[in-house]
Amino acid sequence: MRLIIRLLLLCALVASTVRPAAATGLAFVVNSRSASVSLIDMTKLVELRRIPVLREPHHLVLSPDGKYLLVGDTVGNEMFFLDPTTGEVKRRLPVADPYQIGFSPNGKMLVVNGLARDQIDVYDAASMKLVKRFAIASMPSHLAFSPDSGKVYVSLQGSNRLVAIDLVRLVVIWDVPVGSTPAGVLWNRGHILVADMGTDYVAEVDPADGRVVNRIRTGNGAHQLFASPDGRLIYVNNRAAGTITVLDAATLAAERTYHVPGGPDDLAFAPDGKIWITCRFAEKIAILDPSSGQLQTVAVGTQPHGIFLNAAAP
Amino acid sequence: MPDPFDLTAGWIEQHALVPLLYQFGWMRWEDLSYGWALFAVYGAVQVAFTYAICLPLERWRPLERWPDRDAVGVDMLYTIISRVGVLPLVTFVGFYQAQVALNGWMTDQGWVPPTLEGLFPFLLGRQVVTFFLYAVILDCADYWRHRLSHMIGWWYALHSVHHAQRQMTFWSDDRNHILDDLIAFFWFMAIGLMIGIPPMQFPLLVLLLRFIESLSHANVRLNFGWLGDRLVVSPRFHRLHHGIRAAGRRSCNYGAVLPWWDMLFRTADFSDEYAPTGDPSAGEGMATGSYLTQQLEGLRRLTGLRPG
Repeated sequence: MRLIIRLLLLCALVASTVRPAAATGLAFVVNSRSASVSLIDMTKLVELRRIPVLREPHHLVLSPDGKYLLVGDTVGNEMFFLDPTTGEVKRRLPVADPYQIGFSPNGKMLVVNGLARDQIDVYDAASMKLVKRFAIASMPSHLAFSPDSGKVYVSLQGSNRLVAIDLVRLVVIWDVPVGSTPAGVLWNRGHILVADMGTDYVAEVDPADGRVVNRIRTGNGAHQLFASPDGRLIYVNNRAAGTITVLDAATLAAERTYHVPGGPDDLAFAPDGKIWITCRFAEKIAILDPSSGQLQTVAVGTQPHGIFLNAAAP
Repeated sequence: MPDPFDLTAGWIEQHALVPLLYQFGWMRWEDLSYGWALFAVYGAVQVAFTYAICLPLERWRPLERWPDRDAVGVDMLYTIISRVGVLPLVTFVGFYQAQVALNGWMTDQGWVPPTLEGLFPFLLGRQVVTFFLYAVILDCADYWRHRLSHMIGWWYALHSVHHAQRQMTFWSDDRNHILDDLIAFFWFMAIGLMIGIPPMQFPLLVLLLRFIESLSHANVRLNFGWLGDRLVVSPRFHRLHHGIRAAGRRSCNYGAVLPWWDMLFRTADFSDEYAPTGDPSAGEGMATGSYLTQQLEGLRRLTGLRPG
């Protein structure tokens, strides 16, 4: 009897959350305050529906095999596994405070930063078993891996530090100051770039010891960094300035700055060259045409944060 | 549909708070500051909405007329502090930090704080239903917190600040000793650890619930009829709780929004009377003193320096 009731509940849940998508390309936008994920038709630029999660999701990442889109619900303490082509919830797993999440390039490890709980959790990606928890103060926020998957670099937004963790020996290699409020982290040509939200620059850090070797001015409140698909450019969003600065990845020289109102945060690159940007304070995403600098917007839920584009979705 | 509260908070965040945080080197609190901005916006709208509805009601059918309204002025200060100003900031930051610390510790023990949707999966995606379920459970928890605050002597010493008011109006809802508020804060935190925290995507519903609480204190001759009084707490129902005869350890009508708990636990009184309010055991300073005087009087009563 219990099994039947559970099946009925499951059917009700699935029926309430899943309808077939009819789009060419799907954008997934995490609405932190609305506790949902918006599915947007990338061709028609309309929101198709919202997938409910629990309390406050922030970021999402595609699993190494491409089967699941993992959405971390930080306040709900759950990880949602979505079908990246339909948005269907395939699985839910209790995970403590999943804020920023990232798979190592070899796909073996999943690193989960618990910003609120001052912890960095390393999971075995295949089994989703917790391998090790690092209690590190304070506010572990963004992360980047070394290309060989041997190390993960995590910014500690509540302190002025960047921490390097050896993912083979599972030990902290170094934990050093790099700026006032380190946020976005990106591996770039043998160095680590760290956006400093408390200032107006990106620090270039030596991965061997965490020493800052260079500082590149971008804009007030440098927050997050993204490499373009061809690796030639780096986009830096500047939270306080409300701008996105484009750096040449080889020289780190600033090439161009775009004004993006509404608190630009995460961004993703579409195959047509446009850049999709979540605007945290404006309940919308902005679609930037980098050649003209023009913006289109699509309304989503409240506090849009993470974004993922699946241009191949039917 | 755009959420005007969120957009307003977003505007404040973008144009005022982020530049301020950046200027003072506090950008680490940027995420949290948005939450506070939202709290403050909710609070301001709550106050404005309550004022717009309750003031005409109080003028239309007042229960009492007073030669001066000085004591009401202090209650206005309580409301502003509680809903718009300092308290949301302190509560928000405090609640956030305490929740993080407690939840982190619980998680380390292998206990991920549950949610109602976790316990009843069919609730996922039914956020309005979930919100109402949380509201009902939290209202029940508040009934017991309130009832205990009358039963336990030292606790009532603090709570008597709320009851000392003889000029009770819709502003009196937030008139509380700060330690009483602190206890309520920990009380709801404990509940939150047991059943999770409710989804907060429904500011209009939160506004409605807080409005009912404010209205129940209004100086107005108003009830909701036989059935209505048994569904939602009315000004007449709550006034009996504030009546002089009901002040202290043996009171009635403890419910904040729903009278159901009073009916269930046999503390309901649906008498058709509008008693004078106040607490004869409270000193004059607690009744008509300034904000600070009332707070100090509460402390003195708590520590036994002033009998009560």
